Amino acid sequence: MASKFSGALQLTDLDDFITPSQECIKPVKIEKKPTKTGAIKIGIDGSYLELGQDGSEYKLEKAKITLNDCLACSGCITSAESVLITQQSQDELYRILEENKNLDTQQGSADKKKTVVVSVCPQSRASLAAKYKIGIVEAAQRINGFFKRLGVDLVFDTSFSREFSLIESGKEFIRRYKARDTQKSAIPMLASACPGWICYAEKTHGSYILPYISTTKSPQQIMGSLVKDYLAKRHGKTPDQIYHVTVMPCYDKKLEASRQDFYNDVYRTRDVDCVISTGEVDKMLDVEGISLVDVEPCKEPCDSLFSPQSNELYGHPGGGSGGYLEHVYKYAAQELFGTHIGHLSYKTLRNQDFKEVTLEVDGKEELKFALAYGFRNIQNIVQKIKRGKCQYHFVEIMACPSGCLNGGGQLRPDDGESSKELLQRVDELYNSLETRTPFQSNDIHQLYEDWLGGSDTEKAQHMLHTQYHEVEKMTSALNLKW
Amino acid sequence: MSSALIDVSGAEKGIEALDLVGLAEDVYDIIKDIHDPEKPETLEELNVVSEEGITVEPFHNNETYLIRIQFTPTVPQCSLATLIGLCIRVKLERSLPYKHKLDIVITEGSHSTREDTMKQINDKERVAAAMENPNLKELVEQCIKDSDY
Amino acid sequence: MTEAMLNLVCTLQGHLDRAWNVAWNPTGTLLASCGGDKAVRIWGKEGDKWVCKTVLQDGHQRTIRSVAWSPCGNFLASCSFDATVCIWDKRQGDFECMATLEGHENEVKRVAWSASGHLMATCSRDKSVWIWEFDDDEEFECASVLSAHSQDVKFVTWHPHKDILASASYDDTIKFFKEEEDDWTCFDTLDSHDSTVWSLSFDKTGERLVSCSDDKTVKFWQEYLPDNPQGVATSGSDPKWKCVCTLSGYHSRTIYDVCWCHQTGLVATACGDDAIRVFQEEPNSDKHQPSFNLAVTVNKAHSQDVNSISWNPKIPALLASCSDDGDVKIWQWEQKS
Repeated sequence: MASKFSGALQLTDLDDFITPSQECIKPVKIEKKPTKTGAIKIGIDGSYLELGQDGSEYKLEKAKITLNDCLACSGCITSAESVLITQQSQDELYRILEENKNLDTQQGSADKKKTVVVSVCPQSRASLAAKYKIGIVEAAQRINGFFKRLGVDLVFDTSFSREFSLIESGKEFIRRYKARDTQKSAIPMLASACPGWICYAEKTHGSYILPYISTTKSPQQIMGSLVKDYLAKRHGKTPDQIYHVTVMPCYDKKLEASRQDFYNDVYRTRDVDCVISTGEVDKMLDVEGISLVDVEPCKEPCDSLFSPQSNELYGHPGGGSGGYLEHVYKYAAQELFGTHIGHLSYKTLRNQDFKEVTLEVDGKEELKFALAYGFRNIQNIVQKIKRGKCQYHFVEIMACPSGCLNGGGQLRPDDGESSKELLQRVDELYNSLETRTPFQSNDIHQLYEDWLGGSDTEKAQHMLHTQYHEVEKMTSALNLKW
Repeated sequence: MSSALIDVSGAEKGIEALDLVGLAEDVYDIIKDIHDPEKPETLEELNVVSEEGITVEPFHNNETYLIRIQFTPTVPQCSLATLIGLCIRVKLERSLPYKHKLDIVITEGSHSTREDTMKQINDKERVAAAMENPNLKELVEQCIKDSDY
Repeated sequence: MTEAMLNLVCTLQGHLDRAWNVAWNPTGTLLASCGGDKAVRIWGKEGDKWVCKTVLQDGHQRTIRSVAWSPCGNFLASCSFDATVCIWDKRQGDFECMATLEGHENEVKRVAWSASGHLMATCSRDKSVWIWEFDDDEEFECASVLSAHSQDVKFVTWHPHKDILASASYDDTIKFFKEEEDDWTCFDTLDSHDSTVWSLSFDKTGERLVSCSDDKTVKFWQEYLPDNPQGVATSGSDPKWKCVCTLSGYHSRTIYDVCWCHQTGLVATACGDDAIRVFQEEPNSDKHQPSFNLAVTVNKAHSQDVNSISWNPKIPALLASCSDDGDVKIWQWEQKS
């Protein structure tokens, strides 16, 4: 099976021949229960049955490897893929929706129902709009309609949570830039929104690259905080009473959602319970036997998390990967040098996925930012940092060539269209929305106050920032692949 | 080419065949006490290797020998078959006083990834690189060191 | 009837462990060898004698698997099981390590410079092939990471005058790569070997390729361009490579290296049966169905596996070899009619 993860992740897997099921070497903790006889028999269906002294049979649980085990292990990544398929897929969403329906029919069980929330990212919406040849707003209305028809309660747009990501990235950059003379790893600041890049950095480059990575959470994970904290409280629910699904352009996002950092121990729930790719949404349409253009659209493109007026779609300037460079650059130019930047002129370097932009003040290069997409360009940045030769202050790093619009979970072209042509159309659709800078929205300012108690509070830190962990290289020779 | 062990027509060749049997016994003596990487027992005690599984043929007009060792992993899913192969190869290279060519094979039907495992343990470049990995080297050294009596 | 011989010119001793690879510099005056002793030895002629000119140490932590000279002859690249590549600069006389390239996850098996000298390729057990650009500032940057192979990549080599790369792998295939827009892509996969493909060599035109394998065969491949008169199917504007000749039954163990002489057209092989063999194409052989004859076998050319073999680029039919026995040998081909 061809891996669906980004190239950066695939490269960290090295095994040469062992098939995924046998490949996993992670020791699994098994709950030991006292047994009387110790006799085990194998059932007809292949399950293991423990025999009690009285002859009763007790079905033994299979040892399960969770995605967390995979992430914490420096071994393979291919096993993680098969684990993902069972833990994070459209089937899980269907299962929850089915459970909700069953609870509806049982008397007095309605309060056990989960509130199902789906947060759709703008890249996935653009990909679906391109496939079905409809406008971006229409696509949003029909996607909204599709999920509602399945029984989903609320459908949100992650552009909203991205505002927090952008604002926090900008502020973090100013902090780091000012500290750059005293703190060695302050600059360059490396963008943190791409989970493929994060996972690769943790597994391969550990302690010397991680301090450079921005601590700001990705839009997906900030959406997770918003839904499981802010929304839950507003609805008088506990986090585990909400089932939160995101629709994302890449499989690596499933790994991100499964990180221990985004798990709530008290309620045993994750900020994002399930990630489904754009392609998996398309499969759900297939399963339902309906084309997106035939789905009854909702009046609104999405629901509003905050004020009822704020459900209009909008974008952010700076390209299909979120516009981190553009926002941080403009913000820093303004804050640090009082320079207003209207349009950014990029200089293309080695290839289309490697560009830089420079701010000169009085003939001096004060800000030098780069976009580096795809594994080869990541390599050059990482090696330059390692050798102390990186001249950039900020790098927007993404694991996929061409960035998030070209993510591994996006829809593939139909016959007759090249990947490049399709990507072009997705890009045009993505950029067809009005853009705004994050500070334009009153909602965001209001939320900082109402939800986080201000912009630099401990709660803001907790809800909007995260941390990274070096994955130790495996040393047990029994498990080494050679 | 038929095996030199069977092809004994003349008296001279008979002596040669005896020599080859003797050589096979020597090879067996070298590898039988290798410890299983996970268990306290030796490869002989676990029936992973046997005398019958070893053949020696002359190579290059008797100047060198072609040794073939067949082993049987304890279970078909044994993930340590590659390590056992590595131990056999390293110990033999160190202990045999003469130049030789070595082919290691896994008993047919005894391992789920037999072909792949055999390919790996007979790739001398992979073996050489593995022995430069300090963790692997240490494990192999432990498995192949002579037992204390 | 002609009689051919491969005469031993000299045996060069010095490596303390197995010798993995030999490589001539572009003018054919220096021979570099490397091996398990983590050293590169540079051999050259003093008077009539081949001697060790210098030993490069401390560049690598583990076995040095192969070495390659830049086309200008000023730089030597070495790659190692320690996952790095070292670039040695000899312009100041002695060899100075000017760069260490990191990025591969584990053993780097082969390094090769393109004909222009601006590109370098490396391959590794991590299944990837990397293309590096060597710019005018003498900085190396990664231009592409190719994950086309499903296993350990054993060998990479460039077309003799185009920016076309061929790779050989433990996955039994040979792959061709070219630059398209601004990245590199695989345009052909040759899969008729039955086991690991260890080495490749282009002829001087670059239209023919020879490969050798753990399946104990040598295969000759011919390039077919779109609309070729032979009617070989191609795809788009890419050429298609087709196996036109297989030599089997000659080698009794794994064939570790093959080298096609650009001056004489001779093809030499290095084999795990300790022998060196030289094959000669029949006069007037049809290149779409060529015949190669075994001209010479040197049994016991070395006392152990022969790992590498290389024809001198300037002195006709001068051959270098090296072996698990640690020796480097130089041979002269001779043909009497």
